[in-house]
Amino acid sequence: MSVSRRGFIGGAIGAALGAGAADAGTVKQFPGHPGRYGLLHDTTLCVGCRSCEAACARVNELPLPPGPLDDAEVFAARRRTTDTALTVVNRYVEAPVDGPPVYRKLQCMHCNEPCCATVCPVHAFEKTPEGPVLYDPEVCMGCRYCIMACPYNALAYEYDKVLTPRVMRCTMCYPRIKDGLVPGCAEACPMGAITFGEREQLIAVARERIRKFPDRYVDHIYGEHEFGGTSWLVLSGTPFEELDLLPGVTHEPLPAIGTSYLGVVPLVITIYPGLLLGMYAFSKRQQAVAKEEQERAVGAALAQAGEDAQKKLATAAERAAKDKERAVEAAVKKALAEHQQGGGS
Amino acid sequence: MYTLFDFLTHTKGLGYIVAGLLLLAYIPFWRFLTEREREG
Amino acid sequence: MSDAAVGAAAQGAGARSILTPFNLVTGLILAGGAVILGLRFTQGLAATTNLTHTYPWGLWIGFDVMSGVALAAGGFVTSSAVYLFGMKEYKPIVRPALLTGFLGYFLVVLGLLADLGRPWRLPYPFIKQAGPTSPLFEVALCVALYLTVLFIESTPAAFEWLGWKKLRKLVGSLTIGLTVLGLILSTMHQSTLGAMYMVTPTKLHALWYSSHIPVHFFVSAVAAGIAMVIVEGMFSHRAFHHQVQISTEHFERINFGLAKAGAVALAVYFAVKVVGLAIEDEWALLATGWGAWFLVELLGFVLLPGLMFAVAYRERRLGLARAAAVITALGIMLNRFNITFVAFNWNLPPAERYLPSWMEIWVTVAFITFAVVAFRWIASRMPIMYEHPEWRGQH
Repeated sequence: MSVSRRGFIGGAIGAALGAGAADAGTVKQFPGHPGRYGLLHDTTLCVGCRSCEAACARVNELPLPPGPLDDAEVFAARRRTTDTALTVVNRYVEAPVDGPPVYRKLQCMHCNEPCCATVCPVHAFEKTPEGPVLYDPEVCMGCRYCIMACPYNALAYEYDKVLTPRVMRCTMCYPRIKDGLVPGCAEACPMGAITFGEREQLIAVARERIRKFPDRYVDHIYGEHEFGGTSWLVLSGTPFEELDLLPGVTHEPLPAIGTSYLGVVPLVITIYPGLLLGMYAFSKRQQAVAKEEQERAVGAALAQAGEDAQKKLATAAERAAKDKERAVEAAVKKALAEHQQGGGS
Repeated sequence: MYTLFDFLTHTKGLGYIVAGLLLLAYIPFWRFLTEREREG
Repeated sequence: MSDAAVGAAAQGAGARSILTPFNLVTGLILAGGAVILGLRFTQGLAATTNLTHTYPWGLWIGFDVMSGVALAAGGFVTSSAVYLFGMKEYKPIVRPALLTGFLGYFLVVLGLLADLGRPWRLPYPFIKQAGPTSPLFEVALCVALYLTVLFIESTPAAFEWLGWKKLRKLVGSLTIGLTVLGLILSTMHQSTLGAMYMVTPTKLHALWYSSHIPVHFFVSAVAAGIAMVIVEGMFSHRAFHHQVQISTEHFERINFGLAKAGAVALAVYFAVKVVGLAIEDEWALLATGWGAWFLVELLGFVLLPGLMFAVAYRERRLGLARAAAVITALGIMLNRFNITFVAFNWNLPPAERYLPSWMEIWVTVAFITFAVVAFRWIASRMPIMYEHPEWRGQH
């Protein structure tokens, strides 16, 4: 189902930490909780009666959608889920050439590997063993990253509340499931467009329908693998992109995509200190060497200057001494000459 | 460990703690390495 | 500049009337901001912002958090250059850059407190329950730690001003360690702010979405930090001219060095973005309307200021360097806005797009005003723009 990018390393770490990997050294597989539930939405059966919207509002004690349920005007604009409408039905093809209008019900897809859970900094979301993804308003700080990230635009926020704003989304009627009941929308649908059951079985059912009626369905179960797979599976008679379900979406789970860069964090924390302190030591050494060379140069220059001065002094002293000698000799000669002259006359 | 999300929660949480401890351990290591330099 | 003269200058400024034009304007802006925040906390985000379920992040995230963090990057860039890479000639601008950084990150936290649905739960990831898979968890952790680092790095000036010598010596001895920690934390959170968008390939337009978006964010943050140091110097050098001890020639040399660094940073950023186009094979997208907008950002606000910086450095033209710095800073803001709400959900009809409300804009301006006022108050009293005579020549 969802293949981890961690691969061999993940497998080795998982085994070392006793995470339950049966054989270390294999690519880690995350099949999800066995026997978990899902819902199959067959859009070829949906007639846009919006009974599901009303049932959802009743079960969650939210206001019923405004206006009469059968008012076709509501389909003129594409709606999205809001903080008071956890599910909406949109009309995507008004008057197709060969058949009735095409509708689809939107709500949280309860992904196998939830993106909302991955991006939440306080771990406010949990993928339950039964299948639904649950939200805990007791820890939520309202950063709304989950709303920003959800590729299905399924989450909404209570912007008008000051003290207790919550993220609002379909809960797959978790309390009802725990009580052995079926989600409100599945129970209310008069056309059987929503089927509740074990996800693996629903995939088999969907495959069987496609096999039996190849002209009725596009040969694809949306949600089987997209972004790692969802609990809501959708069948359609028209191309999925016409129903605002993006085709060609990667099978890679969004948690893998969203956290891949975080692998850098421990690397930066452990490599940077050595690297940076090394640069620091290097630059200090450069400065020390430069200082040393400068001192040596100054010292050599001073010493040289000293030597030169000494030499000059010695030369000057010698010359002075010689000059003195010559002067003395000259004076002596002069004195002798004068003496001789004076004695001869 | 049924989901990748569970696995990532576990490993990343451990990763932060381990990396943080290693970072702190770097301080006495550096001080040990440069002790003679500081004694002058 | 003697201690007495600085004190007299500061005293003189305070002894005059408190009703200066600067104080009146900033006071008005701050008062208005306080009123709007009061509304936000009594009537909710719905009453004060244009946020929707499709656009849960608006100006307060796009500017206060995303742009704010990038523009405050001057702190780690200059302190690393001076203390780790030994570029001592930039010492005079480290303290102003660190102060700008500290006030910038403080602004980020203020923006978060205004934007979060339950801001009193801000510490929850650390004290209640952690979500370690979230890039936002990592950003929160790093920003909290980095704000602490910046705060401690700003205390030497305060301790010198207060005359608390022992504490001053203590924090001074921590400089290298704090600088290393600051660079670690900055690398991580600057890039991870970009990584927060890895999970939105279906919502962020392909020209801005990339598997390398964390690298884009980090490199652009370096450029933004350098630009903001120049911009901040433009104002503080003039406003605190009487305090500045370095020669005009030294100050200009510093600015040209920064221009050189800015040219390189923008060149690298430009190259990384072009590589991104190549490896995702997005050339055809450049011919679309969004492509034109992308080119405005890339050519007008990355390539152009990069070239301006290069020419300014070569020909020693200070005015050109400053103009380049302003364009760079605006370009980073433009990039963050594009990613947060312009190119985000780009395929939605115009009626469903987001534009900030005037109240969101006023609060953002008020936060910036607060930072400017705080900078002015601190720098006119503490040794930020000059060296305290008792601590001359030391860390």
